Amino acid sequence: MHKRKYLMIFLENIPIFLCLAIFLIFSILTPKFLSIGNLLDILTAVAYVGILAVGMTFVIITGGIDLSVGSVVYLSSLIPALLIRDSALSVPIALIICLLVGAAIGAINAFFIVKMKMIPFLVTLCTMVGSRGLAIFLCNSQVVKFPREITNLSIGKIMGIPLPIIFLAVVVAIAFFIQEKTPIGRQIYAIGNNIEVARKAGINTERVAAFAYIICGIFAALGGIMSVFQMGGVINASAGEGAEFQAIAAVVLGGASLSGGIGSVFPGTLLGAIIIKLLNVGLIYLGTDMYFQNIISALIILLAVFIDSLKTSYIYKLGRKNIRIEEQK
Amino acid sequence: MANIALEINDISKSFFGVYVITDISFKLEKGNILGLIGENGAGKSTLVNIVGGIHQVDKGNMKLFGKLYAPKTPRDALEKHISFVHQELNLFPNLSIADNIFIEKYPGGSVIKHSEMKKRTSEMLKWVDLDISPSTLIEKLSPGQRQLVEIVKCMRINPDIIIFDEPTTSLASKETERLFKLIKKLKSEGKTIIYISHILTDIKKITDDLVVLMDGKITDSGKTDDFSINRMIKSMLGRDIMGRKYPDKINKSDEEVVLKVENLSEPGIIRNINFELHKGEILGLFGLMGSGRTELTRVLFGIDPYKEGNIYIHGKKENKLSPEKSIKNKIGFVTENRNEEGLLLEGNVAENISLVSLPNYSSKILKFINTNKQKESINEIIERLKIKIGSTEKQLVRSLSGGNQQKIVIAKWLMNKPSIFFIDEPTRGIDVGVKYELYCILNKLADSGASILVVSSEIEELVGICDRILIMSKGEISSEFKNREFDNEMILTAAFKQKSML
Amino acid sequence: MASIEKPLNKLIKLVHVDSFLRMFLSQYFILILSILIFLVMWPVNPNIASPRALMNILENLLPLFIIAIGQMYVLIIGDGGIDLSQPSIIGMTSVIGAIFLTNSVNELKLGSSVLWGTLLGPDGGPFANSPLATPVAILIMIIIGVLIGSINGFCIAKFKMPPFMVTLVTKELFLYIAIWLTQSFNITGLPDSFIEIGRGSIWTIPYVLIIAAVMGVIASIILKRTVLGKWLYATGINSRTARVSGVPTNRVIIFAYAFSGFCCAVGSIIYSGRLLQGSPTLCRAMLLDIIGATVIGGTSMFGGRGRVSGVLIGCLFFALMGTVLNLLRLSPFIINMVKGLFILTVALLDVIRLRRSES
Repeated sequence: MHKRKYLMIFLENIPIFLCLAIFLIFSILTPKFLSIGNLLDILTAVAYVGILAVGMTFVIITGGIDLSVGSVVYLSSLIPALLIRDSALSVPIALIICLLVGAAIGAINAFFIVKMKMIPFLVTLCTMVGSRGLAIFLCNSQVVKFPREITNLSIGKIMGIPLPIIFLAVVVAIAFFIQEKTPIGRQIYAIGNNIEVARKAGINTERVAAFAYIICGIFAALGGIMSVFQMGGVINASAGEGAEFQAIAAVVLGGASLSGGIGSVFPGTLLGAIIIKLLNVGLIYLGTDMYFQNIISALIILLAVFIDSLKTSYIYKLGRKNIRIEEQK
Repeated sequence: MANIALEINDISKSFFGVYVITDISFKLEKGNILGLIGENGAGKSTLVNIVGGIHQVDKGNMKLFGKLYAPKTPRDALEKHISFVHQELNLFPNLSIADNIFIEKYPGGSVIKHSEMKKRTSEMLKWVDLDISPSTLIEKLSPGQRQLVEIVKCMRINPDIIIFDEPTTSLASKETERLFKLIKKLKSEGKTIIYISHILTDIKKITDDLVVLMDGKITDSGKTDDFSINRMIKSMLGRDIMGRKYPDKINKSDEEVVLKVENLSEPGIIRNINFELHKGEILGLFGLMGSGRTELTRVLFGIDPYKEGNIYIHGKKENKLSPEKSIKNKIGFVTENRNEEGLLLEGNVAENISLVSLPNYSSKILKFINTNKQKESINEIIERLKIKIGSTEKQLVRSLSGGNQQKIVIAKWLMNKPSIFFIDEPTRGIDVGVKYELYCILNKLADSGASILVVSSEIEELVGICDRILIMSKGEISSEFKNREFDNEMILTAAFKQKSML
Repeated sequence: MASIEKPLNKLIKLVHVDSFLRMFLSQYFILILSILIFLVMWPVNPNIASPRALMNILENLLPLFIIAIGQMYVLIIGDGGIDLSQPSIIGMTSVIGAIFLTNSVNELKLGSSVLWGTLLGPDGGPFANSPLATPVAILIMIIIGVLIGSINGFCIAKFKMPPFMVTLVTKELFLYIAIWLTQSFNITGLPDSFIEIGRGSIWTIPYVLIIAAVMGVIASIILKRTVLGKWLYATGINSRTARVSGVPTNRVIIFAYAFSGFCCAVGSIIYSGRLLQGSPTLCRAMLLDIIGATVIGGTSMFGGRGRVSGVLIGCLFFALMGTVLNLLRLSPFIINMVKGLFILTVALLDVIRLRRSES
């Protein structure tokens, strides 16, 4: 009986255990790992994928997926860049346009997935391809640059903490607020768990699901801003490529379930993003082959998905209709 | 003139052209507990679903406290202060008690006021004597506790009318007592209650008035005190037996035991099941919903696992059961849910009928199908079972009638020439004429030497075609009636008798 | 229920004649569309009818066809079945095959590979210059393809992991493994006997055509005439019914993915031969084409439907469209967009078809 309890506690808090484990292992293997500078660097690097993953969390909790975030990163940072270059747009308006682009792609996803009831991964696969194509078309496959003032922001610090980390903290805080303190944030959990019951409870399931995809798009746009910082203000055709996989990985590592209803922006997904970066950096410190690192990352993600499936089938077995109640533990 | 809370006037409702309830009329007094009883499929759920806004009426109307009431969605019913405690609890296990209660309308508008939510939830939990923190996740609660949460959820909208649909199926005895206390408390606060249950002793205990449904019509109603259990059963089942025919049974079953079950148990599902099935016998397994009869059959066929016990098929002890193994042992299984597990709805007739017996028509090594031989057998069995279809290849099973669909499932298993045949709810959703055909098919099957286990919730069906009947309740076999010496009254009383509380 | 499904219902009502819908979804429509495209482009750009352009279309079509057959098997078994890892299986088998085939390796590039000194040396791989090289390599490539496919199938069937996620992760995983083995370089020095398979012909019939024809026929026979084929379709239409009816659904699922891996290995043989190199990123951008060809060819993403002839026509359409768009000098990204749009449309029609029959 106690065994089961400890198992459940373990399964529910895997992200924390994993994070600590990786941290400890690397700290022991390479003491340099523990330096504050290194940790700040890691957090700065986390900002990009972290923001994308935070938005992705909402979609995954509803039981869906969004493969288009990488392309949104590209498109949402490209369009403002072009507008600034060609029509001398002011920075705040450029920022708003960036977010609007993200929201627009999110809305397109929402339309086909929620209203037309199509399979999420297929729809977002198409928007992924479409958005990237559109972006390349708009810039004629050329590289576009952001002006100095913006790129300088990426190096800035407030009270010694790099700006990207502050940005990440603010974004996570906003997402956490949405998740915990708004009705629609809670309803996302409801539709992810059982959409029929949610409908019966009077929830407008379409509105909630659409919200998740649009929010994901907006956060992807925010991630686009982060990516601009990281690339030194330069946007080229490979911007955002592969980002969706990293984002999904962070969400799954953070304990969210691909079948929906389970997951959290904080600590879950944030820890997931940190785990990925810790792994990357730790392996670099160990001097492993750059290509080998990717293999380890992919294996860890596979393991996370495996554990998620175990959890899901375990929960399913527990939920089987019970007749002899007195025999229930 | 007593205050009438809900008035039902001549309500009729049909699905796909078949009337499920017809001309239902009754009045519900405020502050009363109305019991609604009837067999499976009598129309109880449909009726209350209409009150709850899940379905719309075809004919008739409803009046709520004198005003016309026609909800189009569950939300409408909620707004009119009508609450529904479903049998399948509508809770989200991944969310807390407080979240579940307020999921549709949080205090505070667009920003949730957590402290207020917690306070209100605690108050409501106190009211039902549930001493648990409001932030506990539902998945950590027992079924009884979950039901109390569901009731609390209903209380949030301050309901005038509360509908309970089979509330005690998942409850232990203590929890049932707790529920009854709560219902009495609700009544004392002026709430009106509709209580659906198949546990007649419970109905006697807690309801004031009673309405009996049978085949979608009201057959009896009145004050509960005026009803004996017998009268209840008779009103539920006393249909015109002249209309229902059963084939004559001529053969006598052998002594040879084809299936023997010893001490079979799966914790929480079935316990200590012991019985034998003889060659050529039609054995009936009767139980109400939640008795474990379907679960038992699934375990016997190998779909679900079991923890203890022994199963002997044709005298040989079988350990790791599976559908493949059962099929090799020439066992067939028509499940109770033909749409989900019996048919390939998007497939054609030939694909469906040939599915189980595919290996029988194929060459050994490369498994090529001998289509000619197979087609012959398919056509032969379609004729034998009198399945009315056009082309076997073009006709999609989805568009066939319930009767034909069931015949196709049976045909599929008969193609494998089973010696043991399990069939769960053989005539569910099928009209009377085809029912007789199905009984004849089963009869002929037993005549030819096969042994049949018929699981059903329609007692007269079993009385009509079985040699023996086992009664199941709460996961155990509670009684047995042998050799066609069926006394209807005795059986029905035994069937509806539940382990008494206290 | 009505209020929630309004736009979809409106669309369904628009396409309210059954035969209309069946026409759109039939593979013959796509075939006719392909011919129409061809005829329309002819006056605009006469090059399209040139033997070179036609050969080009055929060359693009055939290996795609082989791989798409594998994807079709995976889509047929339903329950969200999809194989996103196909490009990586192609890359992985390409690399491993090349390792065994190569007869000369550039030390500067592959010197830092983990295989250097063990399997690889300046004089090539273990079977360098040996007559056994090609058959052994082919065998190993096929084994690796089937193995990776089986891993996918096992995770999906036994552990019930979601197909798109599993194959998404194995896609990345095996891409990285292949890149790591070759340090991101291509392996050259492949023997002529191997290259012949992808490029050569016998009695003017290209080997590719023979291989594609054989694979197509075998795949079609399995589906139409064997127990396994019926099991594949049954699992796709309703896996629960299939399970109760005795279909060994787990084994069927694993087979479908293993077969997909097999098709990828065969396709990889051809592509690697044509490229003259073993490349870890071989066919990396081909996923859209593969899925597109399969889906446009009438294979439903919901399972239970799909025919080899449909896949062939889908490949024809995609190869044709690709050539035409190329001749129009459109950027590859625009071409991808157009392809994506087609897939979206077909998928939408598929959803409509399913919802229609359900109501």
